[in-house]
Amino acid sequence: MNRTLLPHPYAFGFHTKDVHEYKSKKGLNKEIVMDISFQKTEPDWMRSFRLKSFDVFLKKSMPGWGPSLSELTFADFYYYLKPIVSQAQSWSNLPKDIKETYDKIGIPEMEKKYLSGVSAQYESEVVYKSVQQTLTKKGVIFSDMDSAVREYPELVQTYFGTVIPTGDNKFAALNSSVWSGGSFIYVPKGVKVELPLQAYFRINAANMGQFERTLIIADEGSFVHYSEGCTAPIYSTDSLHSAVVEIIVKKGARVRYTTVQNWSTNVYNLVTKRARVEEEGIMEWVDCNLGSKLTMKYPSMYLVGRKARGQVLSIAYAGAGQIQDAGAKAIHIASETTSEIISKSIARDGGRTSYRGAVKIVHGAKHAKSRVVCDALIVDKDSRSDTYPMMDIQEQTASMEHEATVSKISDEQLLYLTSRGISSKEAQSMIANGFIEPIVKELPLEYSVELNRLIGLRMEGSVG
Amino acid sequence: MKSSHLAISHLSAKTKEGKEILHDISLSFRSSKVYAIMGPNGSGKSTLAHVLMGNPEYKIQGDIMFNHKNIEKLLTEERARMGIFLSYQSPVAIPGVSVMQLLRTAYHFENCMKLTQLYAKKLHIDKTLLTRSIHDGFSGGEKKKIELLQALVLKPAFAIFDEIDTGLDVDALKVVAYGMNKLKKAGTGVIIITHYKRLLSYIPVDVVYVLSKGKLLKTGNRQLVTVIERKGYAGL
Repeated sequence: MNRTLLPHPYAFGFHTKDVHEYKSKKGLNKEIVMDISFQKTEPDWMRSFRLKSFDVFLKKSMPGWGPSLSELTFADFYYYLKPIVSQAQSWSNLPKDIKETYDKIGIPEMEKKYLSGVSAQYESEVVYKSVQQTLTKKGVIFSDMDSAVREYPELVQTYFGTVIPTGDNKFAALNSSVWSGGSFIYVPKGVKVELPLQAYFRINAANMGQFERTLIIADEGSFVHYSEGCTAPIYSTDSLHSAVVEIIVKKGARVRYTTVQNWSTNVYNLVTKRARVEEEGIMEWVDCNLGSKLTMKYPSMYLVGRKARGQVLSIAYAGAGQIQDAGAKAIHIASETTSEIISKSIARDGGRTSYRGAVKIVHGAKHAKSRVVCDALIVDKDSRSDTYPMMDIQEQTASMEHEATVSKISDEQLLYLTSRGISSKEAQSMIANGFIEPIVKELPLEYSVELNRLIGLRMEGSVG
Repeated sequence: MKSSHLAISHLSAKTKEGKEILHDISLSFRSSKVYAIMGPNGSGKSTLAHVLMGNPEYKIQGDIMFNHKNIEKLLTEERARMGIFLSYQSPVAIPGVSVMQLLRTAYHFENCMKLTQLYAKKLHIDKTLLTRSIHDGFSGGEKKKIELLQALVLKPAFAIFDEIDTGLDVDALKVVAYGMNKLKKAGTGVIIITHYKRLLSYIPVDVVYVLSKGKLLKTGNRQLVTVIERKGYAGL
C-alpha cells in the first residue's frame, strides 16, 4: 500500500458545466419564492406555506450565539436551479456530465453492493431515484419530497413542518420558503428495511443555495436506516446549504440517520435536524462533519413518549479555514426516557471545533437519564476546540452525566509509531482514526471504511 | 538476512535543555550476535537506545554508522525501515490503534496477520490483545511481550530491548528469551539493556558493554555479567 499515491485530500472539488433547465435569478425575494412554487406546480397550501415562511424569515434575526455569520450575504446565492427536465430511474438515462459526477463519487457502485434504495440530488432537484421493488410491495415509500407533496398529500400535510416549525430559527424559515428536493420516507407498521436507503447531495454550480427538505415517518415497530452524503466543487465564492430534516419515530420504531458531510470548504452548512420519538421508540443520529467552511448543526431528539431513547454519535474534523460547530440536543418530556450524546472532534491546521449541546429534562419526566461525553483532539497549537454544554434538569429523579476531555497527539505516540517505520503523517492519521474509533465501530463497515479513508486523507494532506 | 553492522563513534548526546547524558561513546554491533548493555540507573542506557532510534528529543554529536552509511540525519521512520527496532521500557498506549493494525501498516506484506497470530501463540499472548488498543490497560508482562512480538514480525537487522526483563516472572522471562533466540537465529543483532543477570542466563550473550555516568566504563564477554552480579558496578 503506497499512501503517497493517494489523490489530493479533497477529491470531489471538480465541477462540470452549469447546464440547466431553469435557474432563478440571483438573490432572494417574494417573487423568487413564488416562482419556485410555480416551477414546481405546487398545490396552494404549499405555496402559502412558503410565503408565510418567507415573512418569518425576513422577521427573524440571525442566531445571536455561535460562530459569526457576518460574511454570509443572502443576496449572493441562486436559490433554485433545476438541472434536467425529468427524474431518471436508471443512471444511464442521466445527462453524461451528471452521470459521470456520480460515477466519480461511486454512488452507482454502492447501490449495487449494499443499498435498498438511492436518491441523488443535483443542485435543487432529485435527478435519480430507485428503490427495491420488494420494499415498494411492503408499502415502503421512498421518494423525493416534491413528488411526495403531489403523490402523498395526506401524509405530507399531516407531518410536514410539525417537528420543526417554520419559526424555529432563521434558517428553518429560509428552508421552508425555498425548499427543493430532499427525501420523503414512510415505513409502514412493523416493516424493517434491512439495507440503508441512501441520499446523495451534489452542488455543481457556483454560488448555489441547496435547500433540501426531508421527512421520515417510521410507523409503529418499524425500522429504517437512512444515510446521506454530500460533496461540492471548490469555488472561490461561497455556496449555501441549509436543509431541514424532520423525523417521526412512532411507538416501538427505530430510525438510524447517518450523515457523512463532505462539502468543499467554501460551503456554509446550516442545517436543522430533529426527531420526535414516541413511546419506546429509538432515534439514532450518526453525524460526521468533515467538510464545509462553517457547519452549524445540532441533531435533536424530542423524547415525547415513555421509554423513548435517543442517541447522537457525532464526529467532526476541522482543518485549515474550517469551523465545525456541531453537537446535539435532547429534550426529555416523558418518563424513563434516555439519551446519550457522544461527540469526538479533531482540530488541525488552525481549524476550530466546538461541541454545543443542550439537554433538557422537564419536570415530571421521572427517572429520565442522559449521558454526554465529548472528547476533542487538538493536533497542533494553531487549532482550537471549545465545549458549550447546556443542561436544564427540572426533574429530581432524573440523572445526568457529563464528561469532557481534550487531548493532544503526544510526541511519545508519534515516536512510537514512527519507530515501527510508519511515516509521521501516517502516524498522525492512525492516531486520529484511533481517537474516533469508538464511534466508527458503530457504523456499518462500508461507512466506517469510507470515514477512516476521509480522515486519513485529511490528516495526511499538507493542507486540510 | 544480509549481514549488517551498526556502529557509533565518539557519540555524545544532550537533551534539548542542554544536559549532557552521553559522553564520547564508541560501540559496535553485528548481525546474529547478542549484546548486553548494563549499568546503574542514570548511566544513559535508555538515552542510547533512543538516540539510535532517532528520537528528536536529543541533540547529538559524533557518528552513527549503519553498514558504513552515516544515519545521524535520518528520521526515526527511515531508521526503522533500514532495520533498527526499539522495544520500549514503558511503551505508550495509543487508543483505537491495535498492534495488528500497526503491524499491517508497518509491514507491507500479505501474510502479516498470520505471522502475527503465529508468534502471539508462541509468546503465550492472549489473542484478544492483538485487536485491542495497543498497551491500553495492558499488564507489564503483556506490554513487554507485545513489544517482542513486533520485533519478531518485523525482523529487524538490530533489535534493542530496553529493560524488557523488568517485572517479568520466570515463565514470561523464558518466553522472552525464546523470542530473542529466535531473532538471533534469523540474523538479527540483539541488544539487551538490562540491570540483571536473570534474562541473560537464558541467552548466550556475546558482548557486554557497561555504561556509567554517560560513558563507556567497560567492555567484556559474558563473564563480566557474573562479575557485576557479584561485585556490583562499583566493583568494576
